[in-house]
Amino acid sequence: MTRLKTTHYAAILLGVLGLFAAFAGSPYQGTQYTIDAKELARVVEGEVDHVNPETLADWIIQGKSDFRVIDLRTEAEFAGYHIPGAENAALTALPEYGLTKSETIVLYSEGGIHSAQAWFLLKAKGYRGVYMLRGGLEEWKDRVLFPTLAANPTPAQTVEFAKMKEVSKFFGGTPQTGAAGDQQPTVEPAMPKLEMPQSALAPAGAQKKKKKEGC
Amino acid sequence: MLADTKTVTAGAAGGESGEAMVRPAQPYWNPYVAGFGLGLVLLASFVIMGRGLGASGAFSSLVVAGSNAIAPEHTRANQFYAEYLGDGSKSPLMDWLVFEVIGVLVGGLISGTLAGRVRSGIDRGPAISNRARLFYAFGGGGIMGIGAKLARGCTSGQALTGGALLNAGSWAFMMAVFAGAYAMAYFVRRQWQ
Amino acid sequence: MNAPFFKFGLFGENVSLIVAFLIGIGFGFFLERAGFGSARKLTAQFYFTDLAVFKVMFSAIITAMIGLFYLGWMGVLDLSLVYLTPTFMLPQVVGGLLLGVGFVVGGYCPGTACVGLATGKIDALVNLLGIFAGILVFGELFPFVEAFYTATPMGQVTLPQIMNIPYGVVVFAVILMAVGGFAGATRVEKAMAKRKEVQPS
Repeated sequence: MTRLKTTHYAAILLGVLGLFAAFAGSPYQGTQYTIDAKELARVVEGEVDHVNPETLADWIIQGKSDFRVIDLRTEAEFAGYHIPGAENAALTALPEYGLTKSETIVLYSEGGIHSAQAWFLLKAKGYRGVYMLRGGLEEWKDRVLFPTLAANPTPAQTVEFAKMKEVSKFFGGTPQTGAAGDQQPTVEPAMPKLEMPQSALAPAGAQKKKKKEGC
Repeated sequence: MLADTKTVTAGAAGGESGEAMVRPAQPYWNPYVAGFGLGLVLLASFVIMGRGLGASGAFSSLVVAGSNAIAPEHTRANQFYAEYLGDGSKSPLMDWLVFEVIGVLVGGLISGTLAGRVRSGIDRGPAISNRARLFYAFGGGGIMGIGAKLARGCTSGQALTGGALLNAGSWAFMMAVFAGAYAMAYFVRRQWQ
Repeated sequence: MNAPFFKFGLFGENVSLIVAFLIGIGFGFFLERAGFGSARKLTAQFYFTDLAVFKVMFSAIITAMIGLFYLGWMGVLDLSLVYLTPTFMLPQVVGGLLLGVGFVVGGYCPGTACVGLATGKIDALVNLLGIFAGILVFGELFPFVEAFYTATPMGQVTLPQIMNIPYGVVVFAVILMAVGGFAGATRVEKAMAKRKEVQPS
């Protein structure tokens, strides 16, 4: 009876590991798609998951850099106008897009449907920092780009409007005077390059370093 | 089953020792053991970082950093370089691979020092001169640089990392590397034998 | 256990750079242990006299591959979060051929050139300079090469996906291939050593 050398033991071990692997099933067991319904309901009710357009505008003006804005619309719509610093990604491409589970991500679409769906998708995959832009691009236009002052404003509203005027000018928008709903904005601001005081954005939106994980 | 080859430093340029090492050169480790260790490091990278190893990417960052220092507009205008510059807020040298490659240098030095294998010199076969060897080293490096960029990686990034991940492109790359090297080996055999 | 740790936010970008450095040390250490700081040892692979390159590479690959499979299977590691470089079949194959040619001509590959440099090899340094030059040439000529560079994109795709075979079966196949390769390598090396004895060069 021949004695087995170490190499033979190693080969047998490898063979066993391989054979077991062949029948073991998928190695993607760690990829959970579980949804905690209760937690989800609480989050939705408390609107913990929303970000106001004004808040987002503030973040951008202050040059905060620890968050990402994802625009879920088509490339053509994105090219027409997008929130400064936003990145364009299709809903289907999101899981592979390169988002880390801990960073702050603000999702927006035209209204709220696609961003809600994307929020759900990412939340289910365990992303902890996802938020939706309340009202989507519609509300961004209404409240940041083209803020309106009500017909009989309260003092608080006047103060608020004064602030939003400055904010809107920062983003190249036009504050609307006169009764709300009177005027329809006629010109969409073109958006390839916008001079931002604090952060230097590369043309066509901030391009995060793409070679993040290549070799 | 230890490999019995020792480092051969031939050539006039390698007379003086780079380090004042008294310890004689020790034999290399069993390749399977070294490979196992390497595999564990690779696995650690996957588990900790969610990414694998690499080398050529760090060199690209270096080239881009240098180019950016000398000719910033040209660098930013170039689509290939611009990817390494990102939005310009931080240097291309603050990159995972750059730090990893610095680690490789240190790790290699540690292992070499412990084994008495740190010695300045030129590694070549007996049938060729130092100058010719260096000429080939540079030329071979140039071809490798282009190949690595086309393939989005080198043996560390694509072959090892992609190989372990069963990445389709990486396996194709790996086979091509062996094919190309074996095909060319005959023509440069004078360098090594 | 939530792995990959970085993807779950266990630490930030700055710490990840320190992690990179430490992992690099391990990488460089084992490369040098294997003798890959020497161009002669590396290129001996392509003359069939010393097949350490194959042995080290594939031992490393199957170690990590088995680790990935089982950690993923146990649910400890989220395999879908591990980065997979997108496949561009044509440029990767051509790039591989070029890299192979450059490898046997230059004597090192990018990673091992660093190890060679760390252990004092001047030819490794020159090799690195050549690599920089190659990257520069590529970058400057990029507009002309771009179409080829982005040809045949296949996205992030694994062998199991492309061959439509279960992941574990591919793992098994790779292990068999590697073990068979190791056995074959030993035979080849012995045969080459015998040949050298018979005809002393």
